[in-house]
Amino acid sequence: MSDGPKVAVLFGFGINCDRETAAVFDLAGGVSERVHVNHFVNGDRDLSEFQILAVPGGFSFGDHLGSGRLLGNRMRFAMREQLSAFVAAGKPVIGICNGFQVLVKTGLLPGKEVPDFEQRASLTLNNSGRYEDRWVTLEFDPESPCIWTKGITRIECPVRHGEGRFVMPSSSDLDELDENNQIVTRYVDPSTEPGKGITDETLPFPLCPNGSIRNIAGICDPTGLVFGLMPHPEAAYATFLHPHHTRGEVNEEILGEGMQIFRNAVDYARANL
Amino acid sequence: MSSNIVRVETTPKLGEGMRDVRGDSVKRQLAADHGIEIESVRSIVGFLIASEITSEDVEARADDVFADPIIEESATDQLLLTNEELFSNSPDMIVTIGFKPGVTDNPGKAALDGFRTIFPNAGENARVSTYLTYAFNGVPEGIEVEWLANQLHNGLIEQALFSLNGEDAPKFEYSPINPSDYAAPATIDLEVSDEELIRISEEGLLALNLEEMQTIQAHYRDPSVRQVRASLGLPENAPTDVELECLAQTWSEHCKHKIFAAHIHHIDKETGEDTEIDSLFKTHIMNPTLEMKDEVDWLLSVFHDNSGVIAWDDEWSMCMKAETHNSPSALDPYGGAMTGIVGVNRDILGTGLGARPIANTDVFCFGPPDWEGDLPENLFHPSRVLRGVHAGVRVGGNESGIPTVNGAIVFDDRYIGKPLVYCGTIGIMPRRLADGRESHEKNPQAGDRVYMVGGRVGYDGIHGATFSSLELTEESPSSAVQIGDPITQKKMLDMILEARDTGLITCITDNGAGGLSSSIGEMAEYTNGCRIDLGKVPLKQEGLSSWEILVSESQERMTVAVSESDVEAFESLAALHEVEATWVADFTDTGQFHVVHGEDTVASLPIEFLHDGVPQLRLESEWKKPEHIPFKPPETDSHTSLLMRMLARPNIASKETWVRQYDHEVIAQTAIKPFVGVERDGPGDAGLLAPIHGSTHGLVVSNGISPRYSDIDAGAMAAAAVDEAVRNAVCTGVDLSKVAGLDNFCWPDPIESKKTPDGKFKLAQLVRANRELERICRAYFVPCISGKDSMKNDYGTGENKISIPPTLLFSLFGNHPDVRYTTTSDLKPGESLYLVGESKQELGASELAFMLTESGESDGIGGEVPRLPEPEKNLASYKSLTKAIQSGIVRTAHDCSEGGVAVAIAEMCIGGRCGAAIDIDGPGDADLWGRLWGESLGRILVGVKQENREEFLSQMKGNHLTYMGETTDGDTLSVWDGDDLVIEANVEEMVSAWKGSLDMNGGDQ
Repeated sequence: MSDGPKVAVLFGFGINCDRETAAVFDLAGGVSERVHVNHFVNGDRDLSEFQILAVPGGFSFGDHLGSGRLLGNRMRFAMREQLSAFVAAGKPVIGICNGFQVLVKTGLLPGKEVPDFEQRASLTLNNSGRYEDRWVTLEFDPESPCIWTKGITRIECPVRHGEGRFVMPSSSDLDELDENNQIVTRYVDPSTEPGKGITDETLPFPLCPNGSIRNIAGICDPTGLVFGLMPHPEAAYATFLHPHHTRGEVNEEILGEGMQIFRNAVDYARANL
Repeated sequence: MSSNIVRVETTPKLGEGMRDVRGDSVKRQLAADHGIEIESVRSIVGFLIASEITSEDVEARADDVFADPIIEESATDQLLLTNEELFSNSPDMIVTIGFKPGVTDNPGKAALDGFRTIFPNAGENARVSTYLTYAFNGVPEGIEVEWLANQLHNGLIEQALFSLNGEDAPKFEYSPINPSDYAAPATIDLEVSDEELIRISEEGLLALNLEEMQTIQAHYRDPSVRQVRASLGLPENAPTDVELECLAQTWSEHCKHKIFAAHIHHIDKETGEDTEIDSLFKTHIMNPTLEMKDEVDWLLSVFHDNSGVIAWDDEWSMCMKAETHNSPSALDPYGGAMTGIVGVNRDILGTGLGARPIANTDVFCFGPPDWEGDLPENLFHPSRVLRGVHAGVRVGGNESGIPTVNGAIVFDDRYIGKPLVYCGTIGIMPRRLADGRESHEKNPQAGDRVYMVGGRVGYDGIHGATFSSLELTEESPSSAVQIGDPITQKKMLDMILEARDTGLITCITDNGAGGLSSSIGEMAEYTNGCRIDLGKVPLKQEGLSSWEILVSESQERMTVAVSESDVEAFESLAALHEVEATWVADFTDTGQFHVVHGEDTVASLPIEFLHDGVPQLRLESEWKKPEHIPFKPPETDSHTSLLMRMLARPNIASKETWVRQYDHEVIAQTAIKPFVGVERDGPGDAGLLAPIHGSTHGLVVSNGISPRYSDIDAGAMAAAAVDEAVRNAVCTGVDLSKVAGLDNFCWPDPIESKKTPDGKFKLAQLVRANRELERICRAYFVPCISGKDSMKNDYGTGENKISIPPTLLFSLFGNHPDVRYTTTSDLKPGESLYLVGESKQELGASELAFMLTESGESDGIGGEVPRLPEPEKNLASYKSLTKAIQSGIVRTAHDCSEGGVAVAIAEMCIGGRCGAAIDIDGPGDADLWGRLWGESLGRILVGVKQENREEFLSQMKGNHLTYMGETTDGDTLSVWDGDDLVIEANVEEMVSAWKGSLDMNGGDQ
């Protein structure tokens, strides 16, 4: 375990999912450390010490002024160089839920080959107007360059957000993302055949829990290294966290289908960094 | 004062893929609550920035801070409503709402933080305040704009401006926080008549009775006290206002639980009993727990800390606390409930050397959401209370990253007078810190520095403790209402847990009721003295008087003691986390609670007098059996339609649309969630957590509450609450050898007086509840390790007085060996169904009796209320059942509570989207109504796969077990009584009835 890639898991200012995010990276073979954002902002720590960066879910700064925006600003202005260098070094970055919102608002997602820290998309209030915690079914683009989702067809995990509707200024922006296979994962109808669930037509609530355009749940940057998604795969790290785990016989296997995303990044870092 | 005030407004862009969801939500809410269809509602968020930065500079960066350029338009120093391109349709009505100066403005705080990221030179006194504008188009005839404004704001904490079409748009202006009116410390002459003493107490909102005032008077007559005071330069023979306020807070019912500590003369007219009780708390709660503590090794800390602590395993301990926040929630449901939840989180953080909150529970009692009767002055409609409380708990819990794993909402007309808002939190801490200290024990030394950490002290929150010890009236003060700030608290929590793990904390407690006066005062008992300097305390506004600083209950503050050698590390950790930590006091061993304000001593009270000086109350209690018209079932045989009506009753109906808005699985540990089953919408009985990632070791959390049984006997009510909490936990397969409980009493004033002529009876109800609590807890071996009471839950006085039904919430947390081996309530195909426990003829105060009495189909709710005559038998069956669950052969179990077997089996069909056929004919004397709808305790419906039947039967041997029937492949629930089919209900129709009645969201899209 101790020779696994080092994972920086940000915390502070209302990030909430830092402990479980750190734990799943450890279970996947990484060596995680929860690092307060200000260690990087103040410069007493440097991102270059790590091979993987995770921005976990939560309510950074209470999501006032728009989810992820204020933490996004801190990173955009105070961690710009470190983030650029991290991405330039080919190191994987993941943003989950609030972390995804942060990465979108820093401009790292959908981003450019070389980060320019310009915001191109947003995540806005769910059409329902409500924060909700419910399980969804996700399907993944097999052609996507995203290194985090290799070999994953479909998983179930919870969404827990009030601002998860992905928007871009025009549909041509979305077409471009689609052509680049940057639309990594979408909400699908669980009654469809695995691998055939993806559709552009927005699914009704609650299949698409927020009214996201084209059912977008997560996207990556053009390199496939930076990945963000609204649902919480870390909350599906164990079989006994699945809402249906009592519906069958007791499953002795502990680790659940949410793990593969984290294993992929750890394996990638092992092989390439 | 900052030199520039700049206005920035933002509004959502409309058009392709863009919409104004905030406006749409208001539109839906008005439709859902009032049936008003408005064509469109648009929203504008306004920021008023007082800083050194000019309007031009702000405008250039507005899209970096205030507006999201992808989805929002912004304008600087211009009202967006005057922009005809964006608002081409002139609105019919406009309402603008902002906080009153001094009220916590969380978006404003966050905006200032973001503003400083861009403008580090904004100025030391920079401040941002926010407002919200709603523009309404197509408002139906007859709606007044003022009425509309009143639906959208609470005048206690917010102000609203409004205008109509053709008038100027309202312009919310920046208002600075004015300094408070400073009053120099005063001396209060207590050498006055008794009437005058009472007047001083009442006018000062001190809530002290005559005997207590006389005790204080006597203290200042003591020559040795006078001698000490002279040496300190204090007035020798009279208290300062600081001292009197400090005593009032410390001696308040809220802090000292005087009724539970009282000497009671109890008479029972039914049995002729005539006894004396020296403290209900000691007799029925503390002593039984201490006796149980001698028998086990896992009760680490009970009663004396902010929450009770149990050893969960060799490495980790767990603690739990539940509290109420009723009075503040009545005045401002949103702020009151939010401060309730973040407040109880701080109790966990303040346990031992600091525990980490990992789960919340919440139980609310409200008036009926569809209430159409009159409302007393100053009270909100129950639907508005529900909305506000729900929003407060949602924001407080979700933003803090603590899952809400279990709870309940109970409805009764009488909670219109005072809603009950119970918030509970569970915490975890390592048994030992790296430096070897046991984390459940505090160990401060004289000489340690005392820091106030987190928020600042303001005028908000003065007199919360004493106010909650008085009944609610039209004149209740607004300073008792606050809004929580979860992010300030979350930063503080992160910082404190890091300080704990690095061994920097010697003692910690939260600032709740009574503020610094209570927090430092309580901790000073460890070292026998402290010296506080009020001049060092950081303030939200200048000009607070000494006593106000000492007793203010401003939120988000912890008091932390740090030894001299760790001061530097502690302060730099606070700086890293951007948390304010200020050295405000020192621990001493002088025996004095010594308070200075700068140069001047403003108070000095002997620690012993402060904590133990309050005289014991002497109270009278008299039990007479209440008389009710007995419940008689109507002449009907349509139990199917009764079932549909029962499923839609607010007390039974699904609360999913509300509860789903709580994050119930952050931290990735919730193995049984509030919703279970095929469509994840069936009811979960108890929460089950696996708090250590990668491990299957579990913790169960459950609640029990049945206030309406108090109408017949509050003793039965208490027994039912304990049994329900235990039953729910049993359904998960809890380890019954390690379960601890929390008692939370909410009572109407039980002290006989002119305004409470039935006080003796209400006290007798309390006596009976305590006796049953003790009896059942002993029988089940569930020690009460922490508790709380709220004893003035009445509205008004005299004839119009509304008193809540005496209510005990029993919360429980217990060990679970392996979270994989558990059950949920949803039926699985191919199961045989069994009833554990016995159905008796107990329909008194049942949900069915209330429903049919309200509708006029029955004359009364009286009769036999559910009781637990032989709890040992229940425990034996619970033990067998939990063992069977832990062996993996039972995957389905659901407890029978409101609505009895009929509702329980219906809920199981709903969760499993599965048919069932059962026969309720069985042993016992109960008739069809009793067996179908009665709420007898100790009963659990269990589903077992047919191949596991034999093993299950052998494991349950010797217990009361009845075979009921089987699941079916169809979509119908059939209930037979021998040869008679008494219920035949379609599963989807039951789903609609159950899920339809409390969905008040007005749609999802």
